[in-house]
Amino acid sequence: MIYAILGPLIISFLIPFFYKWKHKIHTGWILLPVPFVIFLYFLQFVGSEFSPIRQSYPWIPSLNIVFDLHLDGLSLLFSLLISGIGTLVLLYSIYYLDQSEKLAHFYIYLMIFMSAMLGVVLSDNVFVLYTFWEFTSLSSFLLIGYWHHRERSRYGALKSMLITVFGGLSLLGGVILLTTTAGTASIQEMIDQKDVIINSSYFPLILVFIFLGAFTKSAQFPFHIWLPDAMEAPTPVSAYLHSATMVKAGLYLIARLSPILAGEPWFFIAVSGIGMVTLCWGSFMAVRQTDLKGILAFSTISQLGMIMTMLGFGTKAAVFAAVFHILNHATFKGSLFMVAGIVDHETGTRDIRKLGGLMTLMPVSATLALFATFSMAGVPLPLLNGFYSKELFFSSSLELSTSGAALMNTLALVMPYLAVLGSIFTFVYSMYFFSGTFRGNLQADVLPKKPHEAPWGMLISPIVLVSGVILIGLFPNMVNEPLLAKTAEAVYGEAVQKEIYFWHGFETPFYMSMAVVGLGTLLAFTQKRWARVYQVIPGKWSFNVLYDLIVSGIYRVSETVTESYMNGSLRRYIRLILLAMLIAGFGFMMTTDGFMFSNADVAPISLTEVLIAVTMAVAAFATIYTSNRIAAILILGVVGYGLSLLFVIYRAPDLALTQLIVETVTVALFLLAFYHLPELRKIDDDKKERGINVIVAGLFGLLMAAVGISAHSSKWFEPISDYFLETSKTLGGGKNVVNVILVDMRGLDTLFEITVLGIAALAIYGLIKIRRTRE
Amino acid sequence: MEILMSILAGILFATGLYNLMQKQILRIVIGTGLISHGAHLFILTMGKLKRGAPPILDEGVGNYVDPLPQALILTSIVISFGVTSFLLALSYRTYVLNKTDNMEMLRGNENDQ
Amino acid sequence: MISNLAVLPIVIPLLSGIIAAFFHKKIILVRFFSKFMIIFNLLASVWIGFYIMENGSVILETGDWKAPYGIILVADQLSIILVITTNVIASLAVFYARSVLSERKEHYYFYTFFFLLISGVSGAFLTGDLFNLFVFYEVFLMASYALIVLGGEKIQLRESFKYVILNLFSSMLFVTTVAFLYSVVGTVNLAQIAERVQDVEQKGILTTIGILLFFVFASKAAIFPLYYWMPKSYIVPNPVVSALFGALLTKVGIYSILRVFSLIFVHEPMVQQLFLWLAGLSMIFGVIGALSTYNVKLIIVYNIIPAVGFMLMGIGLLSETGYAGAVYYLVHDMIIKAALFMLIGLIVYRAGTSDLRKMGGLLHRYPLLGWTFFISSLVLAGIPPFSGFIGKLLLLQAGFEKDQIMLVLIGLGSSLLILLSMIRIFIHAFWGEEQEVAAVSNKPAPSLAPSVILVLISVILGAGAEWFYPFVEDVSNMLADRDMYINSVLKE
Repeated sequence: MIYAILGPLIISFLIPFFYKWKHKIHTGWILLPVPFVIFLYFLQFVGSEFSPIRQSYPWIPSLNIVFDLHLDGLSLLFSLLISGIGTLVLLYSIYYLDQSEKLAHFYIYLMIFMSAMLGVVLSDNVFVLYTFWEFTSLSSFLLIGYWHHRERSRYGALKSMLITVFGGLSLLGGVILLTTTAGTASIQEMIDQKDVIINSSYFPLILVFIFLGAFTKSAQFPFHIWLPDAMEAPTPVSAYLHSATMVKAGLYLIARLSPILAGEPWFFIAVSGIGMVTLCWGSFMAVRQTDLKGILAFSTISQLGMIMTMLGFGTKAAVFAAVFHILNHATFKGSLFMVAGIVDHETGTRDIRKLGGLMTLMPVSATLALFATFSMAGVPLPLLNGFYSKELFFSSSLELSTSGAALMNTLALVMPYLAVLGSIFTFVYSMYFFSGTFRGNLQADVLPKKPHEAPWGMLISPIVLVSGVILIGLFPNMVNEPLLAKTAEAVYGEAVQKEIYFWHGFETPFYMSMAVVGLGTLLAFTQKRWARVYQVIPGKWSFNVLYDLIVSGIYRVSETVTESYMNGSLRRYIRLILLAMLIAGFGFMMTTDGFMFSNADVAPISLTEVLIAVTMAVAAFATIYTSNRIAAILILGVVGYGLSLLFVIYRAPDLALTQLIVETVTVALFLLAFYHLPELRKIDDDKKERGINVIVAGLFGLLMAAVGISAHSSKWFEPISDYFLETSKTLGGGKNVVNVILVDMRGLDTLFEITVLGIAALAIYGLIKIRRTRE
Repeated sequence: MEILMSILAGILFATGLYNLMQKQILRIVIGTGLISHGAHLFILTMGKLKRGAPPILDEGVGNYVDPLPQALILTSIVISFGVTSFLLALSYRTYVLNKTDNMEMLRGNENDQ
Repeated sequence: MISNLAVLPIVIPLLSGIIAAFFHKKIILVRFFSKFMIIFNLLASVWIGFYIMENGSVILETGDWKAPYGIILVADQLSIILVITTNVIASLAVFYARSVLSERKEHYYFYTFFFLLISGVSGAFLTGDLFNLFVFYEVFLMASYALIVLGGEKIQLRESFKYVILNLFSSMLFVTTVAFLYSVVGTVNLAQIAERVQDVEQKGILTTIGILLFFVFASKAAIFPLYYWMPKSYIVPNPVVSALFGALLTKVGIYSILRVFSLIFVHEPMVQQLFLWLAGLSMIFGVIGALSTYNVKLIIVYNIIPAVGFMLMGIGLLSETGYAGAVYYLVHDMIIKAALFMLIGLIVYRAGTSDLRKMGGLLHRYPLLGWTFFISSLVLAGIPPFSGFIGKLLLLQAGFEKDQIMLVLIGLGSSLLILLSMIRIFIHAFWGEEQEVAAVSNKPAPSLAPSVILVLISVILGAGAEWFYPFVEDVSNMLADRDMYINSVLKE
């Protein structure tokens, strides 16, 4: 099984190597066997005696990241879809994409996606699942941006990535919390820990995290906005990622975690509530689209919403209907995307206003579209699979329990009505799609190309899918026992036995279907008159605008905020830094009772020292007021020499000598350097600037003095220097303890102190010399 | 006396920082000089002042001042000397190339690189 | 004698730097010599690393002055991991340097400054003495001053003046704080300070001193609100210098915080609270900075700040998981930042500008560059299975364990924005129509291989985390158990 996941990934690395033969053979032909073999591999598991299979490979067990693969009914259904539709899409793409395109890129992305998607549905370990989850987002980003010279592609790619990675990170938060609460990273083991998870105080947060992850991925309201823009991707990609597989990852996640989460009131409210809103919103918005793929995108959104709603119901019937519809949707929507691609390919446009009357010119495509759209619309014919799952949806919406809390009750009561409402619009846009493209009059003059039927190679894939639609429609129980029952069991938690019938008798779901068909037909035929109604929600109120506002807002706010303080002014930087230190320093000193004052153990005050100190202080202040550069430098020298006098008084002869020499040299250097600099100017700041400087500098001086006094007043330990005094002669062989410390005990310091001097010398040399060579 | 010295060091820090917040390069460099003097005075004060003889071992003397801070100051003086010399060369070059010694004129626009 | 091993990673580059200075005019010789010596140093560190993994920390009492009186070098697992990482980056930087430096710059002691920078950084990782740490800080800072002005352009001088002034101030604060600490606990040996601080009942002024020390390290580490010096000064030097700075310098600050605040000042919960606040603010302001500009170099520089925020979060959480996350993130960030700065150097060279708005379509001609950059963006944003993910996973776990929900949310949110800031570069620079390159310079193109290798290492660090995590786990155990460090140094 691991080869099935990693196979496409490994092969994708090889693509650049056989891409060399691109002139002889289309890269797609070489890759076609890959998904097909995987499909056959998974197909062998289908059967009534199938039971879940587990495989485990260690990866990073120390961090609970284990490559645990778990193949149960749910994973099997998805794996079959991924590899099966993958095969068809690959075949289709061979005819859709010309050899002049950058095929290597396209197929690498596609193979990475295939690996990632199989990884998502087969991983039992939540971290591994998350890893693959992000990779589906990234490969989708690359595929949407495949034609990256188009502005719209780049925009759509970034949008889809931002929204799905946002969801991904939220999912990461969720899985970390799940793992910490349940003490395991395996989903199957988490199911056993259900009670622990549900009763944890983090449970609400877990729900929010998981929902955000699932809803963004499956384009649920209001995160659906990325999907229409994702239609910038080449059509095979839209058919594959953005209708049949990737967007269903969110559904997969909810289904996968259903055994843990389902049954909770908020699970029903959030999942079914959002799902239903998405269903209605998506189908309503689909009718106002003019781009064929736009209609399909919103239709996908609404269908995903419908499946989400059923998963939220969580009842046996609803779960069964949900998994059934996942399969059905993949068949009819996949073929519709392919037909849309064919129309685009053969006429040069996807604008439904320019299309029409293609039925006679493209009879095969038209027939395919006919079956697929009618199946999508839920027309009650025994050869359309869409009808079965839609009717199951209606009946499950009627069976909702109304014994819960008030909000749940209300929601449960309105569900059937909303279901009908959403389905009516589904019917309308299905008809709109079909008749807008294939019926009516041909407008040959506005079409960029002269339309004709597509080559057979391109038609094979949609034909296969539409055969699926019809076969499942004719013999729905063919897929029931061997596959769907197993899938539903994995989601619901116990065995689900359900026979699928075409005819249920004159019961409510039947009337609901009839209402949909009746009202739908009415609305579809009079659609032109309702055009204004569909435009009632103005474009500027859409969530797209909100997204654009957020993104540009982030940039704008970032720019304003950053430029407000990173303005290159050194004094501003120093002020801000000092301010932070002052707040923290004084803050901590006060709250921790840090200030201490003790004059118990201090040296006596003597007049000479006071005089020196006062001179130094006066000189220090004088540097501020002087406006003569020579004077300023000399005054600085006064402070330095004062310091060396203090060193003498405080019994530090070596220091005094060094300080004397260093100060002299420094003053000389100052004079040398500043001979060339302009004269000092009076400090010309206004009062406010000066006031801030005085306060900040003064307070910082105060802080340092206060900490210094406190530190001196808290001598709690004997200093280690007694040891130096004792051993300087015996071990160090010198009487001058300071010297012994410098060259022996702390010789390393001295070595590197000299290094610093050396670097400084070389750096100065470089600074001066590099100028000479240039000038 | 230590308390007085701490206050003096605090003053050196304050005046140094005030200079650091000026516009003219020369004042800024003078500020760094004052701050390093302040720092060295602090280190010295943190040993006990005047409680003993200079740390040069001698017969019959039992009490010496703490030698370690002195050693640390020595290291620090030399390092500051190196940095200050470099800073002087740097400020000279900055002035010559940018043709101003006013740091507020040297803010720079972040996109000019 | 085996304990002398600890000094090798400091001494080899020191000597190499000095020797290189003597031959600075013989460029070809110096280039060869530098490559040879840095790889030799890398191998030596790796060998020491193996020794430490088997036999435990190597402790060198320099000049045979026993702890805590002399200067102690402590090569424990944390230090040696960072030293090895430093040398990996340094080795690749030398190969990169050749292609981005003009001969004139190489003449002016580039290799000497480079080796001394490495020596100072390794010294800072290895020393067990607070004042000695200050000295090593000065060594690498001085070397960084020399490197940042290398070439002596107008803007370089302007920005490096600010850089030097702010660093000089914090250095002076550093040495003063060491003196304050010496006054209270009577020692400058880290282990002994830790031991003595443990014995004090009423901590009094110690916390305030600790905070000052934190601000000293934080201003090197570029933590909010002390990073003002960094963004512009990191974009003015040569790409190889930016790479070294971005990868190494801020990380020394973070290492110092990690070491000192896991060892000494762990007593005050308010300090940890402060860390967590600043961690969150660093993440926010860092990504805000990264999204505020179209200058690709600045985008990368600003991305240093949220990364530092993540590490500070791990330190502030004060748990083993947090430490493990911080250490993993530290190593990861060093490597990926080096790679990114090198890549950006190449992108700017190819596009002829560092303004994103003027770039486009580079993917057509430079696919390898594009994909390396794309993967490194994913690494930086913490997408699994790359190295950034492992660190982030641990940090977020630690955050949840300590109920820091808000901080975890900020962490998740900033990851998204980091990705946005990087993908923005990818979309603008690599996608779209090809742009006319204004002036094709006649310099040879910077080399791509070093960054590819660094990105590969990141991938291995992530996907192969099982091989590395045990070491990091040991380190975090050690960081959480202070007595282990104290006893190993003071041999009690």
